Amino acid sequence: MPILSKLLKKKQKQRKNDNYRQQQDPQKPENLPILREYKDNISRIKGEFGNSNDIVIREIVHCKHRGALVYVDGLVDSRAISDFILESFNENDIDTDGMDYFQFMTEKAVALGSNEVIHDWNQVYDMLLSGNTIIFLEGYNKAISGETKGWEKRAITEPSTQLSIRGPKDSFTETLRTNTALLRRRIKSPNLWLESMRIGTVSQTDIAIMYIKGIANEKIVKEVKDRLKRINIDSISSSGYIEQLIEDQSWTTFPTTYHSERPDTVTSQLLEGRVAIIVDGTPFVITAPALFIQFFQAADDYYSRFDISTGIRLLRILAFIIALLGPAVYIAGTTFHQEMIPTTMAIAIAAQRENVPFPAFVEALIMEVTFEILREAGLRLPRAVGQAVSIVGALVIGQAAVQAGFVSPVMVIVVSITAIANFSTPVFAMAIAARLIRFVLMGLATILGFYGIMLGLMFMSIHLCSLRSFGIPYMMPIAPFNMRNQQDIFVRFPIWAMKYRPMFISKGNMVRSGENQKPGPPKQGDDNQSSKGES
Amino acid sequence: MEKAKIKASQMFILVVLFEMGSAILVGLGVQAKQDAWMAVLLGLMGGLLLFLIYYRLFKYYPDLPLTSYLQKITGKWIGGLLGLLYIIYFIYMATRVLRDFGELLTTTIYTSTPLIVINSLMILTIMYGIHKGFEVIARVGELYFGIVYFMAIAGIILISVSGLIHIEFLQPVFEYGWKPVVGTALKQTITFPFGEMVVFTMFLPFLNNHKKVKLACMGGMILAGINIAITAAINVATLGAELFTRSNFPLLTTIGKIQLANFIERLDVLFMLYLVVGGFFKISLYFYAAVAGTADLFKFKNHQMLSFPIGFIILFASVTIASNYAEHIKEGLDVIPVYLNWPLQIIIPCFLLVIAFLRNRKKKKTPSAS
Repeated sequence: MPILSKLLKKKQKQRKNDNYRQQQDPQKPENLPILREYKDNISRIKGEFGNSNDIVIREIVHCKHRGALVYVDGLVDSRAISDFILESFNENDIDTDGMDYFQFMTEKAVALGSNEVIHDWNQVYDMLLSGNTIIFLEGYNKAISGETKGWEKRAITEPSTQLSIRGPKDSFTETLRTNTALLRRRIKSPNLWLESMRIGTVSQTDIAIMYIKGIANEKIVKEVKDRLKRINIDSISSSGYIEQLIEDQSWTTFPTTYHSERPDTVTSQLLEGRVAIIVDGTPFVITAPALFIQFFQAADDYYSRFDISTGIRLLRILAFIIALLGPAVYIAGTTFHQEMIPTTMAIAIAAQRENVPFPAFVEALIMEVTFEILREAGLRLPRAVGQAVSIVGALVIGQAAVQAGFVSPVMVIVVSITAIANFSTPVFAMAIAARLIRFVLMGLATILGFYGIMLGLMFMSIHLCSLRSFGIPYMMPIAPFNMRNQQDIFVRFPIWAMKYRPMFISKGNMVRSGENQKPGPPKQGDDNQSSKGES
Repeated sequence: MEKAKIKASQMFILVVLFEMGSAILVGLGVQAKQDAWMAVLLGLMGGLLLFLIYYRLFKYYPDLPLTSYLQKITGKWIGGLLGLLYIIYFIYMATRVLRDFGELLTTTIYTSTPLIVINSLMILTIMYGIHKGFEVIARVGELYFGIVYFMAIAGIILISVSGLIHIEFLQPVFEYGWKPVVGTALKQTITFPFGEMVVFTMFLPFLNNHKKVKLACMGGMILAGINIAITAAINVATLGAELFTRSNFPLLTTIGKIQLANFIERLDVLFMLYLVVGGFFKISLYFYAAVAGTADLFKFKNHQMLSFPIGFIILFASVTIASNYAEHIKEGLDVIPVYLNWPLQIIIPCFLLVIAFLRNRKKKKTPSAS
């Protein structure tokens, strides 16, 4: 490990050098001022974009002034252009009130949400590619940039991965603005702060950081920002890129940042003091810091009553353990510890395994790998075929494998229970970690039975305890133990008893609810409550 | 030295897990027959007194581990030699626990697996823990504390529901007089496991609140002592004094007797689960003390690089220290307490305290005189 860290340090040094070079890199066009001749400006744009035909250039003549509109087709709302910009250029008898023509056009005539005067070419490219319309006017070495953003958006739909029964049915989309609006609509407080930046030297992807001032821990907010600023990469295709570039540790199968496509989940995390990172073009919003137990909390836990959601959550944790240990325990039981299985059951299993030519490990491996392939194929196949193929595949292969004597029926049961249990983890990133570790534990069980499994689990717990997410220990309220934060771990306390925000994640403002929130019937002799309230 | 900071509750849990560690597995105080539990409690009293000595020493040098204040108290050379002696002692004790642990598995469940395979996998896991540092070990302790307690309660309920407990096995009290009880306490239970608290002299500076040292450590010792005494009593009540004395691992025999509804039987897995957890913490703490001591004595900046060489020493020594289990146990019962535990856990700390007392009195006097 020390060698590794040394290597990493070297890389970091290199990165610094790269950074320096990039700043000097003449890849980006030089920041030139806008020219007075609008024709020169237009030919420059044509040259820069290589005559791409989605760059629309429309020349205009207005009150003896000549000029041109430039916009990128598809990124703009063409109705806004025709209704507001072109309309204002059609009006020919204008009263400039003694104002300069350019100033007049900017302030009075072009009736758009926001107009900006820009002076240099970097701004021109920036605005143009974000969907603004640039207006060059003859004789002015500046241009008007009018906001005409309006591209095709996907409508807000039901979430496709994190479903809920009682919760809200909207989900994030690929558009940054829509996503921030979804959060704003849920937290109507000026303390919900939004900071934006652009990441990706080529792709220039918009990224927004949202947090609630006064609840979020300033240190963590700063850390998130610092880590985002450090990113120097050509493009960000999805929030998965950001996630991998800002996590504390890469050498782990466990996710150390949370991601969700549910606005209500992200809202509640913001209210716990976490920081949300929204990436344009991804319907998954990242929140940090993330704790281990968080991946077992589903949105529905908070929408149903506490006893039910506690039961469901414990079930989910049990399912995670089954998904992790299922085949490993089967292997250990059948190869090492037959005496621990009740006699009748041991005989039944032995009878079934009689004709199986493989040792338990190979048997389990065949079935597990088959299942994983089916699952992966089911994911990639065209939707119409996918489900049918996966069901038929599972049935046919399961049935046929048993009949052919490759595997025993018990193995099929074990594999299917494990697989189904694996789906009950609310967040895919955690479920897939269990899937991977399962194979390691199967190997250990083959070598040393339950002792191997125990050592594997011990190793895993050391690893989990050593992880940190933005400086917060990953196993937070369990190890290190914190009594105050046990309200939302294994037992989900009633909402009125969940008084405090998680420690360390939020700072300062820890209390969520007032005193005496416990509901109940009116007390006896309390009939004239209103008069009491007045006094 | 690593700059770790742990909470008092974490220290408490580490003390409990360390003390219970292997003491619950082997028949502690078997020489006292059915009064084993009393020998354990007597040992606990002695252990608490001993800890007060360590605590006084810690009070004199609150920021230093044992290996450092040895040099302050007795001078550079003698202190260094004594420090080295303690490091070797810690390594040796880690080795012994690892051997105990491996023997247990090879004699009970993995009868055809070589000892070195069992031990090497265990030491690899521990090396990983040591590599991650003391704070991580403390956190893992918190994670497993609940599980151990859950298992213990489940075990006690199952044993009593199975109707295995015969209180009359615990009687007559003092059948052979009080002499064997006191003798066992002096010879065995004071030093093992309670005197082993000497290893915590390496860790006390890690505690973030120095005022809570007494509470955390002595509380932990008391809880662990009571647990061990209860276990001893249950073992005797289940097996009878005779079988208890003869059995290599009384707890395993006791658990093996559980039989409920023809379904819950052969719960050796529970036992093994505890075995791995308890063994892990006991070996880890000895191991870490050795690593921290070496780093401190020889001025290593990075203790992590020491975990591999010392780990391999422990691994190979665990296979070679005794040619068979009988020899190993004989050493453990007759040689270790007299020649290692008593001098290193009791006599040297007592001398240290006396010298430290004299030195610090002088120091206190000089400023007042001037």
